Amino acid sequence: VQPPEKPLQAEEWDRLRESFQSPEIFEEVMFNSMVRCNSPIDVAKSLLTHVAKSNGDIAYNLLLKYLALCVQQGQTSEIRDVYDIMKIRFRILESGAYNLVIKGLSNSDQWRMGLTLLEEVKKIMIPSRTNYESCIKAASRHQEMNLAFELYHEMLAKDVVPTLDVLQAFFDFSRGMKGAELQKELFGILLYLRENQIYPHKTFMRSIKLWFESIPGGNWRGHLTNIKDSGLCPVCNHQLEDSDLTEEEYNNLRERIIRDVIHGTDTFRKTSPQEFEAFQTFVENRLPFDIVIDGLNVSHIKPRRMQCENLFDAVNCLAKENARLLVLGRKHMLINSSNWKREVMKEMQNKADFFFAENISEDDAFLLYATLRSGKHCKFVTRDFLRDHKACLSDSLTRHLFRKWQLIYRVNSKKMFLSLFIQQPAFSYDCVVQTTGDTWHIPYKDSFEEKYSYQVPRKWLCIQQQ
Amino acid sequence: MQSANVLLKKIVRSSVLPFAAQHGMKKDLFPLHRTLSLSLCLKQDNSGTPSEKLDLDAWKKVMKSGLQEEVSETVAEHKELSTLAAARETLEMWRLAGRSVPENISEEQLKTFMECPSKSAKKKYLKYLHLKELYKKNDRRKMDEKRERKLEAQKQASETDETKRSSFVCLWANTMDKAYSWRAAQAMIFGQPLVFDMSYEKDMSVREVANTVRQIVLSEGCNRRSVDPFHVHFCNLKDDSLYHKEFMKHYREAWGKLLITVTDQCYTDIFPKDKLVYLTADSPKVMKTFDHNKIYIVGSMVDKSIKTGVSLARAKRLGLETAALPLEKYLLWNSGAKNLTLDQMMHILLTLKDTGDWKKALEFVPKRKYCGFVSKPVHELKKTLNLINTLKLGKRQEEVRRQFAKNYSKKLTQK
Repeated sequence: VQPPEKPLQAEEWDRLRESFQSPEIFEEVMFNSMVRCNSPIDVAKSLLTHVAKSNGDIAYNLLLKYLALCVQQGQTSEIRDVYDIMKIRFRILESGAYNLVIKGLSNSDQWRMGLTLLEEVKKIMIPSRTNYESCIKAASRHQEMNLAFELYHEMLAKDVVPTLDVLQAFFDFSRGMKGAELQKELFGILLYLRENQIYPHKTFMRSIKLWFESIPGGNWRGHLTNIKDSGLCPVCNHQLEDSDLTEEEYNNLRERIIRDVIHGTDTFRKTSPQEFEAFQTFVENRLPFDIVIDGLNVSHIKPRRMQCENLFDAVNCLAKENARLLVLGRKHMLINSSNWKREVMKEMQNKADFFFAENISEDDAFLLYATLRSGKHCKFVTRDFLRDHKACLSDSLTRHLFRKWQLIYRVNSKKMFLSLFIQQPAFSYDCVVQTTGDTWHIPYKDSFEEKYSYQVPRKWLCIQQQ
Repeated sequence: MQSANVLLKKIVRSSVLPFAAQHGMKKDLFPLHRTLSLSLCLKQDNSGTPSEKLDLDAWKKVMKSGLQEEVSETVAEHKELSTLAAARETLEMWRLAGRSVPENISEEQLKTFMECPSKSAKKKYLKYLHLKELYKKNDRRKMDEKRERKLEAQKQASETDETKRSSFVCLWANTMDKAYSWRAAQAMIFGQPLVFDMSYEKDMSVREVANTVRQIVLSEGCNRRSVDPFHVHFCNLKDDSLYHKEFMKHYREAWGKLLITVTDQCYTDIFPKDKLVYLTADSPKVMKTFDHNKIYIVGSMVDKSIKTGVSLARAKRLGLETAALPLEKYLLWNSGAKNLTLDQMMHILLTLKDTGDWKKALEFVPKRKYCGFVSKPVHELKKTLNLINTLKLGKRQEEVRRQFAKNYSKKLTQK
């Protein structure tokens, strides 16, 4: 339906309504298209007047849609009026109306009214992140940074995740402002990015850079750069943080993997207690390994070749460096078949230790256990991303540790046997926001660049104090 | 509508737009009419008296007037709302705003709603209740209609007044029930046991348990009506469990009279271990034939988020033989998980027991899950399927690439 361009008289609305296929929902459809076409609010008003005069009442959803139209066009006084009417007419409002009113008022000079509404929302539910976003942006736009930060901390305390826009607004609006307290808060946001492994996008990064450079008497200078593979920053010659897990993190991860991934809710789901015990004693007697190989996974690298040949190549290639190898497989590999030749298997067993799990057990869990038990230097070879195992971990912190560890300890299999699989090279430095006090290094992503979750950004913002 | 058409005709007759009158009068009636009538009205408006000027804020007056005094006292009354009442009010407002929210909600449902851990969980639960309410309403409406039709038919029948003659007294339902019970009683003595393993309560949500019990009730019903029923065992069923509560909801008094064996013991305590076979989709072994001397176990579990290996783990722990239905061997699988509902399992097992015909038995697998029955050797079929898929995918990839290139160049030109 195309909404009319000018306000209409009652009879005209009536005529339009009758010509519409289903007159019961005419007003709703008309309002929807008004919002879509951003019609002048006078037209909407004339329709409301018509509805009010013929029914003596206006339904809540129509008011809501009218409100959306007003918010869209920034008609502050109308927003207030509609809100007042809603308040008189209905005892409480629902989240949709509050969202609209708060958003509408925050963008106007009556933004303080939005704050009182936020308080009202809190009485019935947890405000949404957009509620907070509007209020925080409004407060910081009017240079009330204390108030903005108060709201920000409140939302964090309620486990509401702030949008990047909110964080960016803090940097945008405190540009050039003085105050140690303010500076501390903004550093706090950067640390929040660090802790949650969030990478700012390009425009956000620019806001951060401008803020640093605008600190009065701070003498900060920012440069965009790429970090070398060695982890050296070419601008300030500073070495970035090591990506190794700390001793505590490592032990923590190992325990969690044994508890959540291998045992989980039921040890029988992935293995059996007898088998796991047998594997444990097997590993303990032969520790430590340098490389653990997922035999079945590696054997499928080149589909045209015999599976045992693939594995044989891999073992040969890795054994050359005098490393202690462990190959994990399943019992069916021992049966002489077209894919698994007994002689080849025998020869391989001279070069590496083999453990064969039951055919219905999951060998990945063993792979993780053997690698973690061997210590930090041990690597594992597989093309598997082990996502299902990561998902078994119970909390996000451990999941992150797992990912970090996975990136570090996987050998790049592309180099070794020219498989089609491309894995990101493991960096020796840690890709998070980091600081030494007089320098900050912030990884960022180009907004248009597509980024997979397992990739980390290559571009950095280096900020140093002169 | 009619008046509008008359109006239209008038305009046409007055030859404002003679062109429109000649071409596509009927076809373009609606859009034409709208613009025409509008322009006409506006013209009238201009020529009309200035006193007709629209008062755009009139609706505000209407909304504010008359309600003031009535509402103000209710507001005072409900100054302090309890959380439950507040939630109820919010729901009502959501309903007014046009969200899918049920019209009526019980105290219990409201509590479950409040206990939902997240906003999306709340939304989902409300939608579920809303749909349930809609179905119920529709059913009731249909029932009413049916009853009315029946009454009318009766009226007509009494008018014609025709007596039917038959050698049987009409007691169908009752006699059938008796016959079924007789058969079930026989099965309890001589029948092949079939075990439902009720030990998955902790792996399921409340709704999943309810679904499970519903499926079991259906399977019990179809077992009772079959020619040669199984002797159904509910094993590991604790008295105070959720399963039990749900069963009571479905069966009520009939629970005590069911011709099945209910026990809190494990099947390994009742039957010899070497005769038990645990049916699970995760099993590496595929069932070849239905063995009349074995005792098959079905796990009573609905897993909406597919939890692989739960029932296999259970069989492994107890050291039981396992088996999966030969779905791959007989059906060209299309999509969907290989785990079937409990009543489908029951249908399949009953058919196998009676006929041993896999094709007939696997008719009960939902049609959406497979493309057809395997007639040629499987590897040949797979080859053609793969070929088709690669052709399809290959083509699609090409298309995607082309689309992308197109969009990309558009972006560039825009910049």
